[in-house]
Amino acid sequence: MNDAGALILYGGGVLLGGIAVARRDDSFRDGLSRALEQAVLILPRLIFALIAASFIVRLIPTDLIVEYLGAEAGIKGIVIGSLAGLVVPSGPAVAFAVAASFALEGASVPALVAFLTAWSVFAAHRVFIFELPLLGARFVRLRMLSVIPLPLIAGAIAMLVTSG
Amino acid sequence: MVTDDRQSGYWPDLIKNSFGKSFWLFVGVAAAMAAVGYIVLGQDAFTDVIVRDRGLLADLLPRVAGAQILAGFAWVLLPRDRMSTFMKSNRGKRGLVLAAAAGAITPGGPASAFPFLAILAGSGADRGILVTYITSWALLGAQRIIVWDIPLMGIEFSIFRLLLSIPLPIIAGLLARRLA
Repeated sequence: MNDAGALILYGGGVLLGGIAVARRDDSFRDGLSRALEQAVLILPRLIFALIAASFIVRLIPTDLIVEYLGAEAGIKGIVIGSLAGLVVPSGPAVAFAVAASFALEGASVPALVAFLTAWSVFAAHRVFIFELPLLGARFVRLRMLSVIPLPLIAGAIAMLVTSG
Repeated sequence: MVTDDRQSGYWPDLIKNSFGKSFWLFVGVAAAMAAVGYIVLGQDAFTDVIVRDRGLLADLLPRVAGAQILAGFAWVLLPRDRMSTFMKSNRGKRGLVLAAAAGAITPGGPASAFPFLAILAGSGADRGILVTYITSWALLGAQRIIVWDIPLMGIEFSIFRLLLSIPLPIIAGLLARRLA
């Protein structure tokens, strides 16, 4: 990672940690405790998701990824990226591991943007675990209809910007 | 799921959850893919993938740890209940912009965003606001970007995706108002 990213992550942590200390209540301890909880929940799965994704992507022939998601693929890459994002029925560990592997194999920026946008707004597991039980089927239907165009819009903007 | 009560048995439960069924599913899929990779690609390619994974993880783990600490403090410091009161009292286009802003700064994963959405829905916020809020949380959520986007995709790509996604939750909210 370049320095700007490290600065945001570590600098931001130090800054917010300082604010938490200055509050002189349990904020600092609670913040660290929550960070530890989340790390315990995420890390074991993330490690194996990365290993699985790296083998899966290596098993898919590179020229296939470049053909369907590479810069040459253009609008087709955006559509296929969106569809791929739609069918990842899992949390961010898997979605981002797959996206990072796609990127290494030569997928274009617009295709990656479309993929992550589609996964973010549709994420099937979230719909079943949280949205349907808490908000009901009518709301889920309305929301789905409202977000359908977003991956394509995001991919198209990315393509316009990156093609200069 | 993360709760605020910490009775005894809390941490053991958390660890049990972390190494629960879905963890073993990940391990199983990784082992199966590694086996298929070894058979199909041969030993050299297999070793190459493992070496690359080791490098990637060594690079990634400190960043993920830093990201979790940052996200943990943000979770503690943000006034979540005040955000809800604020959004209920604003309608129209302004309401959509506020909902998008609230979604972007809501700390925590789906376990905190969806219950908040349900509270908003129960308190009479319109469909456009609800759709904008949850879409913004999904696309622009600072926590997601800090914990996942930046460590795995790099800062340049993350900021690029964030900037071009800013109008999307409002578009979804306007569509929802039209469809509702």
